[in-house]
Amino acid sequence: MAKLLKLIQNENMKLYKRLGTWIMIGIIIIAVLGIGVFSKFFMDSGENTNWQQRLEAENLQLERQLEESPFQSAGEAYVTKQIAINNYRIDQDIPPLHSQSLWGFMIDTTNLTGIIALFAIVIAGGMVASEFSWGTIKLLLIRPVSRTKIILSKYITTILFALFSMVSLFLFSFLIGSVFFGLEGAEDPYLVYNEGEVRERNMISHIIGLIGFNSVDLLMMVTLAFMISTVFRSSSLAIGVSIFLLFTGPQVTQLLSSYDWAKYVLFANTNLQQYTNGTPLVEGMTMTFSIIVLLVYFILFTLTTWVVFKKRDVAA
Amino acid sequence: MEKTPVAELINVKKRIGKTTIIDDISLKVYPGEVFGFLGPNGAGKTTTIRMMVGLMDITEGEILIHNNSVEKNFEKAIAHIGGIIENPEMYKFLSGYDNLVHYARMAPEKVTKERILEVVKLVGLEKNIKNKVGSYSLGMRQRLGLAQALLHSPSLLILDEPTNGLDPAGIREIRNYIRKIAHEENLAVFVSSHLLAEMQRMCDQIGIIQNGKLISVESVGDFVGSCSKKNVRFQVSPISEAVKVLGAPYDSLITGQGDDYIDMTVSHEHIAEINKLLVLNDVDVYSIVTLQSTLEEKFLEITGGGQ
Ligand SMILES: Nc1ncnc2c1ncn2[C@@H]1O[C@H](COP(=O)(O)OP(=O)(O)OP(=O)(O)O)[C@@H](O)[C@H]1O
Ligand SMILES: [Mg+2]
Repeated sequence: MAKLLKLIQNENMKLYKRLGTWIMIGIIIIAVLGIGVFSKFFMDSGENTNWQQRLEAENLQLERQLEESPFQSAGEAYVTKQIAINNYRIDQDIPPLHSQSLWGFMIDTTNLTGIIALFAIVIAGGMVASEFSWGTIKLLLIRPVSRTKIILSKYITTILFALFSMVSLFLFSFLIGSVFFGLEGAEDPYLVYNEGEVRERNMISHIIGLIGFNSVDLLMMVTLAFMISTVFRSSSLAIGVSIFLLFTGPQVTQLLSSYDWAKYVLFANTNLQQYTNGTPLVEGMTMTFSIIVLLVYFILFTLTTWVVFKKRDVAA
Repeated sequence: MEKTPVAELINVKKRIGKTTIIDDISLKVYPGEVFGFLGPNGAGKTTTIRMMVGLMDITEGEILIHNNSVEKNFEKAIAHIGGIIENPEMYKFLSGYDNLVHYARMAPEKVTKERILEVVKLVGLEKNIKNKVGSYSLGMRQRLGLAQALLHSPSLLILDEPTNGLDPAGIREIRNYIRKIAHEENLAVFVSSHLLAEMQRMCDQIGIIQNGKLISVESVGDFVGSCSKKNVRFQVSPISEAVKVLGAPYDSLITGQGDDYIDMTVSHEHIAEINKLLVLNDVDVYSIVTLQSTLEEKFLEITGGGQ
């Protein structure tokens, strides 16, 4: 255990003594700042002053829609939910979320987890492959430490980077949000519609939840990149394939959703929000099903990584 | 020698696909001894070393380090080894010092800061140790490689072409250093090279490898060079008289003769005796020239002569 900690310390030293890593973190910070500046200075600020009238008008329109053209069940549920929440806001005087408030801004910036996923994939792709291309793998493996511990320390370091970036994103966007938009409305709850009733939820846990849902995708793609990096010892292949799948995977799966077997595809399951806030991609899919599928993929990826790293001759 | 070997290779074979790269190598390396592993390019030196340090699987046979099998008991076996495999590539974006800290954290026992600085001084890198390795010259990287191998005070040092890329002064320094630690600190050193002259100056034993086979293992003998045999050409006249004089006592040593010379394989002190014998028997001696040592001859034969 003490050995593993020292290995993680080593991997972290190698990661954070490289300029590239800090450039990535810098980009995340600049992106948060950029979104803040844009929302504050370039977005129309009149949007939210008359929110009560706006919501009433929206409700009228939604109700007309509901009468005129019957939706499919999913669409109808969505409209009913929207009307209920809007009414609740008007009754309780809770303004809707908008980009020029602390929470609205923070919810906007949770989309940056996509960039973090990208960076984490780049780091995962280099973790093992770089040691080979630098030639340093030889001196790394001729130590009284098992290869299992070495690969584990590398994986943990990658995940820690993603975690560190996520926490930085959260804290920094809270900081920028409160500086730019103030703490006004900070006690506003997040509203959910559940079984015919509107309920109030804590906003911070909602935002952390959003980041958490986005992390599932990140974790799976990082693990995939890490596996390719180890099996093929090529960082460009690992990064290329993983980023390609990150961007095209969900769309392609969408196209395949009419086939029943599509539910076993990794990307059909990475978006767990389809169960809390939408409709499942393939009928009959459940949260439990998706978690099991994700677990199976995860075990497959990590097991392959481990076996290959442990067994292979190092001839580079 | 009654000593127990530090490293022992027992009928080691390596096959990749259908080709046999290492074919049945057995040898022992003892403490206090520099073992030279000599062979032309592609002979299998690096492959053998890779198996010794667990970077490659051993197809057949066994490698023991202090009686620990490298395959079955890797962590125990490797704890005794410090090594350089081919070029000592280090993390270029880290300083030399951080590189050593990195390896110190992986050592079998705690390596103190003092020990790191001691090793840095030993290899003469004090001035540059805080600089990034990316700015190091090849020679400086070799020194850092040596430092990394010595950090945890191993009892077996495995060096793959350690003088590769060094200038003559650097080569001499490393060579002297290797001899010194082997003999004074009783370290076993296993060093590979394709340069015979370098091996002869550095090693106590030399094993010659070709096409994956260990062809011979010989002692280099004492440096001053009294007991190793040499090929010597005596230019004499008249030749018939010389053959008659030398024929009886030294017949078995004569390896060839020409119109005005006789070639013999002799030890150092023989040369003077033979010269005296010739002169006393009225044979004129014009020159005595040392050709190649037997080791050189063998090696040149393998590598196809001409250097
Ligand atoms: N991974 C591999 N796959 C197939 N053949 C290999 C592999 N590694 C080495 N070889 C072959 O094994 C032989 C020995 O290679 P090795 O690197 O051990 O030679 P060497 O003695 O270190 O040579 P050099 O003096 O050039 O460093 C070579 O013929 C090489 O082509
Ligand atoms: Mg070699």
